[in-house]
Amino acid sequence: MIEQATEAFVLEARELLAELETFFLELEDEVSAARIDEIFRALHTVKGSGSMFGYTALSRFTHHFENAYDLVRDGQLEVERNLIDLSLSARDLMISFLDLGGDGPEAEALLESEDVMRIVSQLTGLTGQHENEAETKGATGTEPVQSTPSQAEQAGRTRFRVRFRPAVDALRNGMRPDLLLRELEDLGSTSVELDVSAVPRLTDLDPTDALIGWVLEVETSEGREAIEDVFIFADDADLSIEELGCEGPLAETANTPSVDAASPAPAVSAKKTDPAAQSVATPKATAMAKSESIRVTSSRLDDMMDALGELVIAQARLEAVSEEMGSPTLETVVEDMQRLVMGLRDATLSIRMLPVESVFGKFRRVVRDLSADLGKDVRLLTEGGETEIDKNVIDRISEPLVHMIRNSIDHGLETAQERTELGKPAQGTVWLSACQEGGEILVSIEDNGKGLDAEAIRARAVERELIDANAELSVQDLHQLIFEPGFSTAKIVSAVSGRGVGMDAVKTTIDALGGSITVLSRAGQGTRITLRLPVTMAIIDGLRVRLGDSVYVIPLSAVEECVEMDEAENLRESGRSLLQIRDETVPYLELEELFGQQARPEAGRRIVVVRVDGVRAGLVVDDILGQSQTVIKGLSIYHRDIPGLGGATILGDGRVALIIDVVTLIRWAETRRGQGPRKAA
Amino acid sequence: MKDENMDITSSGLLLIFRLGGEAFALSVSWVHEILDAQPWAPVPNSGPFAPGLINVRGAVVPVIDIRHRLGLPHSEKDLSGRMIVFENVIDGVPHKLAFHADSVEQVIEYDPSSLEPVPPLGAAWPQDCLRGVIRHGQELVILLETETTFAPPADRFAAA
Repeated sequence: MIEQATEAFVLEARELLAELETFFLELEDEVSAARIDEIFRALHTVKGSGSMFGYTALSRFTHHFENAYDLVRDGQLEVERNLIDLSLSARDLMISFLDLGGDGPEAEALLESEDVMRIVSQLTGLTGQHENEAETKGATGTEPVQSTPSQAEQAGRTRFRVRFRPAVDALRNGMRPDLLLRELEDLGSTSVELDVSAVPRLTDLDPTDALIGWVLEVETSEGREAIEDVFIFADDADLSIEELGCEGPLAETANTPSVDAASPAPAVSAKKTDPAAQSVATPKATAMAKSESIRVTSSRLDDMMDALGELVIAQARLEAVSEEMGSPTLETVVEDMQRLVMGLRDATLSIRMLPVESVFGKFRRVVRDLSADLGKDVRLLTEGGETEIDKNVIDRISEPLVHMIRNSIDHGLETAQERTELGKPAQGTVWLSACQEGGEILVSIEDNGKGLDAEAIRARAVERELIDANAELSVQDLHQLIFEPGFSTAKIVSAVSGRGVGMDAVKTTIDALGGSITVLSRAGQGTRITLRLPVTMAIIDGLRVRLGDSVYVIPLSAVEECVEMDEAENLRESGRSLLQIRDETVPYLELEELFGQQARPEAGRRIVVVRVDGVRAGLVVDDILGQSQTVIKGLSIYHRDIPGLGGATILGDGRVALIIDVVTLIRWAETRRGQGPRKAA
Repeated sequence: MKDENMDITSSGLLLIFRLGGEAFALSVSWVHEILDAQPWAPVPNSGPFAPGLINVRGAVVPVIDIRHRLGLPHSEKDLSGRMIVFENVIDGVPHKLAFHADSVEQVIEYDPSSLEPVPPLGAAWPQDCLRGVIRHGQELVILLETETTFAPPADRFAAA
């Protein structure tokens, strides 16, 4: 149970840290009180839960960070470039703490490392000044970690009676009352009484139940909100905080839940807003808003998707059986089932959808760091961040996108000086946009840099023997060559973009996702690379075709039309593999030949016309069986590298069918043609 | 029961199966299930080592031609006999696979110390696929080195 709760904490912390990065970057453009509040709360949450779940090193580090934003929130510290730089570095360090998986010698070592020490000293450098000011105002200063000047501190010490009874299942949920009590002790002197009235006889005792209650008297210079903060994560607990009286000018009636009770201090009227009141009021508001969503690990979603996949297969089997039996009653039920399964499928897929914004956010940081490294002034503009894609797709495109952005900034954009000389704005721009178009998502990266140099590409392609020296290629075709394997080499890969990944690796990833990639570039004006991606890759609509005794599935998204193969055309052995469809000539591929199956010429064959990278091609099959929902199962290590195959699926009759990956199939067929002699040429 | 640290020689139970009259064995700990032989869907351009795929209760599992690896005479799609579904660890990742055996005989307990090396000239099978031989009753049983026997061939897709 503790492990689960800890896991949930790590998950939440990672999400918060991802958000924080975005927030910090947004601060560069605009500083809003609401943002600062969110930052503060995120830091506070990580700090608080960190210490509960055995990440005290993280918590101690975050404490300094939080202090800084407390001051910002208070209006005592300005948001400047310096603070944002510092915040980003500090955030990265928090990730490092998380990566270490909790307290231990490594976490301690990190806490004492130079990096951390430097950041902490910079942070305390920012906050320290204010701390001192606060102390001179008459704080007791007994609490070394306390840096925020709260009103109660200036008003003297107050006694509170805290009644605390955790929910019965609190221990199972990972609560650590001992840590909470210790935190209370840190606030000031305490006395503790145990309430064991709820503890049953030993025979009836479930040791994982939380049955003890505590009555504590705390005498502290902190206000009520400090005590509330201790219990901030124990929101199921039965908690009451009663003020017993104080030695300062704060004599107020006790037991009012209102926050004001703790902080009316006349002495501090100098402060216009009351930060303490805000900090108590706003978390509640967000807690309300957030209760509408739940947090699930993605592996559970994968499990659900697997189960749904089985259901779709079983449904297909049921359909096949029903067809065989020909019972109208059964058919009606099957139709109902089908509708329900489809509904369930759509609902499940929608759960897995995430806005692209979740990766876009990451790129702001990339652009910021990179422009600093390269000394280029670059801004990133994003559009369509709300477009949703399957989480698995998002996870896999983020690396290629980073690579392309690096490319744009490193190779595409000129330096400020060059730009000014060319009469362009000194600041370069990278646009990142996403939108949905039918069953596809279009993601494009565009820069207003110098564009691709078609002649340089040609020279390199010839040198790499990718094209013939005399080959006549359009500028557009030359540009596409950057995706060819073996095109990018160490020579043009700089320290920034070069990590051993060329554009061909980007293309491979996109192909593997069933997507496609195109580049459009104008010399002197810029380059746009567009990715077309499937919305999901778990279940697709497929066209079942027969080839001899085998069944294959062709993704319907690639299919343009199906035509009858002309008898005459089929029998011709001239080596010409072109087809006249209306007024267009379309090349076609004999799947049997490509798949090494025995050719048994059948009458009435068909051609499935597919479109790949804007080019039409026909695939000859023996028969078209129909259209169905196809659950994609990945191929094993034994078959993964076979060109032309994108996965496997299970048919309604329980047989296995292979899913054709049209892109790699056609590319492979082209290279084969290039190498070997044609069948009858 | 699976234990990642479990060495095949330290596991006490072996499954004995027959291929072309010879008795072979592999550790029971990785065996998932034993099915009736069934036709498999051929995978084009896959080469002789892993020629097809079968459906094992909703999972797509590659079929390995163990005869090919061991250099035994090839038998055509044989619908008699059994399919042994087991998990093979490749680079630390378990991969489910299936192979055909003429018959599955029994599960025996065995004492690792009774494992004897295969004399180099004693068998026509590739040495790296063999872990050793053990005596079972009157017969010699060949214990397979599963990791190499079922490792994907390095040059598996010359066509690609």
